[in-house]
Amino acid sequence: MNGFNLHRAYSIARKEVMHILRDPFTLALALGLPVMLVTFFGYAIDYEVKGITLAVSDQDGGPAARRLKEMFSSSGYFLPVEAVPGSGPVAMLDSGRASAALFIEPEFSKKIMGGGAVQAQFVLDGSDNAKGAAVVGYLPGIQRAAQARLAGQALREPFSFETRFLYNPELNSRWFTVPGLAAIIIGLLAILLTALTVAREWENGSMELLLSTPVRPLEIMVGKLAPYGALVLAGVFFVYLVARLVFGVPFAGSHLLYLAACLLFITAALSQGLFISVVTRQQQVAMQLGMITGLLPSMLLSGFIFPVESMPKFFQYFTMILPPRWFMAAARGITLKGADLGELAVPFLALGLLSAGMLALALIKFKTDLE
Amino acid sequence: MENFSIRTEELKKTFGRTTALQGVSFDLSAGLLHGLIGSNGAGKTTTMRLLAGLLKPTSGTISYFSGGRPAVFADLRPSLAYMPQQASLYPDLSVGEHLEFFRELYRLEPGVYARRSAELLEITRLAKFRERRAGQLSGGMYKKLGLMCALLQSPSVLLLDEPTNGVDPISRREFWELLYGLAAQKILIIVSTAYMDEAERCSRVHLLDSGRLLASGEPREVLKQTGAASFEEIFIKQGEGK
Repeated sequence: MNGFNLHRAYSIARKEVMHILRDPFTLALALGLPVMLVTFFGYAIDYEVKGITLAVSDQDGGPAARRLKEMFSSSGYFLPVEAVPGSGPVAMLDSGRASAALFIEPEFSKKIMGGGAVQAQFVLDGSDNAKGAAVVGYLPGIQRAAQARLAGQALREPFSFETRFLYNPELNSRWFTVPGLAAIIIGLLAILLTALTVAREWENGSMELLLSTPVRPLEIMVGKLAPYGALVLAGVFFVYLVARLVFGVPFAGSHLLYLAACLLFITAALSQGLFISVVTRQQQVAMQLGMITGLLPSMLLSGFIFPVESMPKFFQYFTMILPPRWFMAAARGITLKGADLGELAVPFLALGLLSAGMLALALIKFKTDLE
Repeated sequence: MENFSIRTEELKKTFGRTTALQGVSFDLSAGLLHGLIGSNGAGKTTTMRLLAGLLKPTSGTISYFSGGRPAVFADLRPSLAYMPQQASLYPDLSVGEHLEFFRELYRLEPGVYARRSAELLEITRLAKFRERRAGQLSGGMYKKLGLMCALLQSPSVLLLDEPTNGVDPISRREFWELLYGLAAQKILIIVSTAYMDEAERCSRVHLLDSGRLLASGEPREVLKQTGAASFEEIFIKQGEGK
């Protein structure tokens, strides 16, 4: 048998480019969709919770209680609303008209004047974990400010933390979301495009004809992957522009390193698509499988939304076989922290191994299937 | 040009629980136009795919010979052309682009390609449709384009799986004229068909029914041996005998 021939791989690639150019849908999908989605979701996804309706039950009515309420409203996160005394705030929580409630007991102001210890009760709607966690995060700051104002002076604490956020000083959640979002969309696109291309060749019947010619499976694979790799890379470039120009995401690290990470990740995703395509041989099924395997793990298990460290042990290990997890780590490290290859050795090594493994898997499946 | 012949012995192919071929032995002697005749589901396509090396037999052997001496499939593969039964061209590529694509896959010299493609466009009378996309060709023209792609590399072995299926009678006749022209060049041609009238056009016929070989030989000899007036009659008798 003849070995790998670059010319034949090239002729497959050239034919594929003709298909792409004649199919405006694919072209638009590859170039327009990532930009659109990143812009759309970049604006939509914001971890900061603002404008929380706070039902206040003030049974004191004194100056200290008034000041406490002011503290909440001036934080910018809360919108205090007076509730009818009694079970008012709870009813408001039940019906969803408020997300949090504040109970100020009678004699609140008097006790503070007297220098005694007082408590105000803060009740939170726990049915929305993410929101709840964000709101709880705001409390210590308000409490500290309130202590200072209500007692007339800052309490002397024996010990306190001074917190400073590195890499993203304002904790701008878009800086964090947009690079991750880009990873998910690019991965999904790469999987979908290749999942469809080989399945189309089977459905069209042309695979049989191709295989009866001297062209080798590896040449078909390379010829298929190369144009889509280039197309996805063009998509990456547009997403990069949107992230930088529209969302002002900083880029602290090396562009070259980011490109290398992208190439590895794209290879893994393209190979995954190819594998799906080879197994299903049908565009419809390939599309569905590509959507599910391309979207769910990268959304939920890659550390995009939920930190990998807080997952159960099994899932922490399980996520290791997912390229998006490593790409997410590498992309955030490079863009926000300016990490170099030495610091990102593990994600890079993992990405390299996974993409090589995925490619080998697709090739082996492709070859054995034909025999 | 090399002179290939193929012999199958007790060729068997099963897909899961279905048996497509249950032990078929025949000789495909060099330089002749062979017809694999049988109704739908007789095992014609499976036989073709086995001969083209796209499937591996479950049991039995396929032996290849070059100039009468044993050869391996790899010797024959570069000069084998196969035209599948189902639509297998790219609807969005034009006639000319198909030829270009196959030229690249076969790595033909520019001079050879220019001469060959001009010749093929001439005999298939598709020259004026060079720019037309495959998806917009009529059934007969589509089959001719498939044949052109297969013939571009001047094969020594040509496998055509139901090339005239679904083609109007006039185009069918034209297609056979093309095949006669090719047969005159003494290449090994194997054509499968479900049209019994086409059996008489072949120099050798191999009748397949439900994965079994009914008869094999020159068309007239086969008719004489079986005592039937036509090939249809052989198949009908076979059906009644079951």
